[in-house]
Amino acid sequence: MLFFSFFKTLTNQTVTIELKNDIRIRGTLKSVDQYLNIKLDDIEVLDLVKYPHLSSVKNMFIRGSVVRYVMLPRSEVDVGLLEDATRRGKLRIVFLI
Amino acid sequence: MAWRWPEAATFPRTSPKMAFFGFDTTLPRDRDGSGPRGFFETPDPFAQVAQASALDDDAIDFEDTYDGLGDQLDDDQDEFNDDTFGGPGPESSGRDFDFFGKTAQVSDAIGEEQVRYSLQNPNAPRVAQPVAQPVQQPAPQVKRSGYEKYSEPGYIPDLQAKSSVWGVSQKKPEPTPTSRKMMSLEEVEAQMRHSSHAVPPAGDAFLRSMVEPQYHPQPQHLQAIPDGYPPVHPEFLQAQLRQGHLPQMAHPPPGMPELYGGPGIMPPGGPLHMAQNINAPPQNMPPPGPRPTGPQVQRPPQQPPQHQQLPPNRVSNNGMPVITDPQQLAHLTPEQRNAYLMEDAKRAKRNHKIFLLSRGNGLMTPQDKNFITRIQLQQLVAAAGSIADSDPEAVLAEDFYYQVCSQIRGAPRQHPHQPLGHFAQTYLLQTGNRLGGHRRGNFQSADNHMQRMQQQVQRAVEAAKAKPKNKQLIIEGSLGKIAFSNAKAPKPMLNIKRPDSADGPKPKKLQSNLSLSDRKSILTNVEHVYSALMAMEDMERTMPPPPEEGDAEAIQEHMEWRQKLHSLNQKLWRSLKVMEPIVPNSTTPHPFIAFLSYPKGKKAIPRIFRHIDQEQRVTILTMIVVHLDSLDVVRLAQPVPGEAQPSLGMREAIDLFSLAVMPCLLGYVNEAPFNIIIGLLGLVINQTHVQTVARTKVGLGILTMLLSRAEIVKEAGQASEHDWQQWVEKFNVLFDTLEPGLNDTFPGTISSGDDMYVWQFLAAVGIGASPEQQQRLVIAVKDRVMETVGYSKTLPADMGSQRLSNVNLFMRAIGLDVELLG
Repeated sequence: MLFFSFFKTLTNQTVTIELKNDIRIRGTLKSVDQYLNIKLDDIEVLDLVKYPHLSSVKNMFIRGSVVRYVMLPRSEVDVGLLEDATRRGKLRIVFLI
Repeated sequence: MAWRWPEAATFPRTSPKMAFFGFDTTLPRDRDGSGPRGFFETPDPFAQVAQASALDDDAIDFEDTYDGLGDQLDDDQDEFNDDTFGGPGPESSGRDFDFFGKTAQVSDAIGEEQVRYSLQNPNAPRVAQPVAQPVQQPAPQVKRSGYEKYSEPGYIPDLQAKSSVWGVSQKKPEPTPTSRKMMSLEEVEAQMRHSSHAVPPAGDAFLRSMVEPQYHPQPQHLQAIPDGYPPVHPEFLQAQLRQGHLPQMAHPPPGMPELYGGPGIMPPGGPLHMAQNINAPPQNMPPPGPRPTGPQVQRPPQQPPQHQQLPPNRVSNNGMPVITDPQQLAHLTPEQRNAYLMEDAKRAKRNHKIFLLSRGNGLMTPQDKNFITRIQLQQLVAAAGSIADSDPEAVLAEDFYYQVCSQIRGAPRQHPHQPLGHFAQTYLLQTGNRLGGHRRGNFQSADNHMQRMQQQVQRAVEAAKAKPKNKQLIIEGSLGKIAFSNAKAPKPMLNIKRPDSADGPKPKKLQSNLSLSDRKSILTNVEHVYSALMAMEDMERTMPPPPEEGDAEAIQEHMEWRQKLHSLNQKLWRSLKVMEPIVPNSTTPHPFIAFLSYPKGKKAIPRIFRHIDQEQRVTILTMIVVHLDSLDVVRLAQPVPGEAQPSLGMREAIDLFSLAVMPCLLGYVNEAPFNIIIGLLGLVINQTHVQTVARTKVGLGILTMLLSRAEIVKEAGQASEHDWQQWVEKFNVLFDTLEPGLNDTFPGTISSGDDMYVWQFLAAVGIGASPEQQQRLVIAVKDRVMETVGYSKTLPADMGSQRLSNVNLFMRAIGLDVELLG
């Protein structure tokens, strides 16, 4: 749930998504679900010359399983909080030691 | 590789822009000039007509459009075609592709069915309308466009009537041999508009002009009519027109528009037919056909889209006269007619859109939809981990980052009873609220949406909860089953038996003999500290309300809470390892100092300081002071000859230390009793290498902190005589130690930047110094002062004055001013 939780905070931010077929798409993240499916708005394909068929696409829904990378605005990530959220995930284990 | 259309006669033909599977089925010649268009941007109901007639006049040349793909096919692999397509083998596939023709053969029967139905159901919503001319009713069972039937004589009156609107004869596909180019809708319109303008809007002459268009070569038109339909002669049309035959179809089925937006429930037996009616509104026929090359075609730039005549009784807005008879149009002014046509065009466009959307209407019953919705909601709920009904702590555990992040950034709380000030305290202070409020709105709306969604789901969940939970759903009669899974319990792809913890390989025992200072154990320590910290923070959030007098239970609860908090505090303290014995001359740093050498450790200090008492704070401060010269930010920050400043990484570490740790220490020192300050200064002098310490920003910072606190205590008159004596003794020692190296305290050369903290330190020293010491001080740093004053004159005004005021900080402390230096 950490990634879901994390991506939820990035809604309405501009992100660049690289798919496993190398297409890179920049757009506004509209929503994300627990499968990390992604809805993008106002998209822009970075290497449009290679993918002209995407030139008229304005928004898209990306199945989470085809995403390779999500590049996000650094300023939108609260690193300290993210660290803590990560720790929480394994909090019980740490306590056991 | 031959395959047949599987009984394709019933496939609804869609607009050319919007075909099966989203392929663009536009004919190549239709594409040119129209530029890229979205599916719906210019729904073009008439293109089919153009296409149909194009088919008739053989506008597609197979050889022209054939891309030769068939040559690449491997004929050896056709054995299974039958299996795949269920048809007979290729040899038996006929050449009868004329599905429309086939359908047309039974169209009469369809028409009769319709009559029968409408007679049986007099209340049926206006479907009966077409009955007026059941035989003429187009039953476009769509193989081509469904418009072919318009070539039939029975339709002519209708077409005539409508065509009078435009002054152009309708269904005259005129294959002009010189140009086979199909007209786009705009072109057609332009043409029509043009000719209608050209014709004086006066009764009979006007009508004549429509029936006998100026540029139609009739004979060619006749060729274009498909076999089986007698050629239509214009005279015939005209005659009918005169007989007043025509206007009866001028009232198209008024019920049709209602059908478009209908609830999706169509009368049985009707839907297909009706849908096709919509598809091919008979009165909306634009004249198809190739565009004449004559000079009269001056296409105006981008005419408004199609104009069609719709049910006239619905046309009454915009102060337009109600047009019930197409001949009325003839008496309108051109402006009015134009407006009227535009109006019609808009409506036609909309109707076409609605039609496109309405094709699926009635496929599912409301019960079906409910069923699907229930399944979806159940999935949603399962996936969301039933957020709606769990307690806020569970939500927090699951969704920590999002919850806290949105709270910090100002989103409304989802659980109002949840005290969230703590998060703000913990994380806002840490990040300095660098996130402005400008995104607040976005979050709010997103959150509201989620809330509404959740409320909806909540209700559904209540219902779902009442039922026993199944791991899978097997619908009766279906072959498959639906397995429910969610993000937390995904559907297992592999089923591997996990060895019991008893006989499985045990996790490696933590080696207790790990040295306390290797990287791994230090980092483990840091994590221990953090987990203890978070436990304390959670604890703080769940603090019970302060007990009232006499409420034994509440008091008991509170006591227990305090007890737990205390034990957590002890745990935190232990994991900090501040109290580990100090080993003199050890090569490995003290565990706490090692802890501080990692950014994570530095960042933890402010949070730690909130949860420990004064005694623990002073212990930490003492620990830092004792190890001042072995702190990474002091030890590794020594100026290297030839380099103006420490490395980038070290500068970052120093900045972090100054931002995270120093304020905490300062916060304590500012309230510390004088004897502690004296003790700390003594520790600096005795335990550390003062010269080394003084050459770093952090070291000087701590010294400044102590010196200025002593000065404040003295000013406030809180220092006892005895204490002051002690202080002065220590101060003198410090001064004597520092004096020879005072010039080395400045970082780099004069031009290398920030030396304010040095001047601050010098000021702190100067205030506490005796007059004699002040003189020595001036002598020691005189050169630097003069250099800075001189250098500041070469700088831009604001930077120069900044440097001067830094110097003045020191000068004023000893009763001087840079102004005096001239």
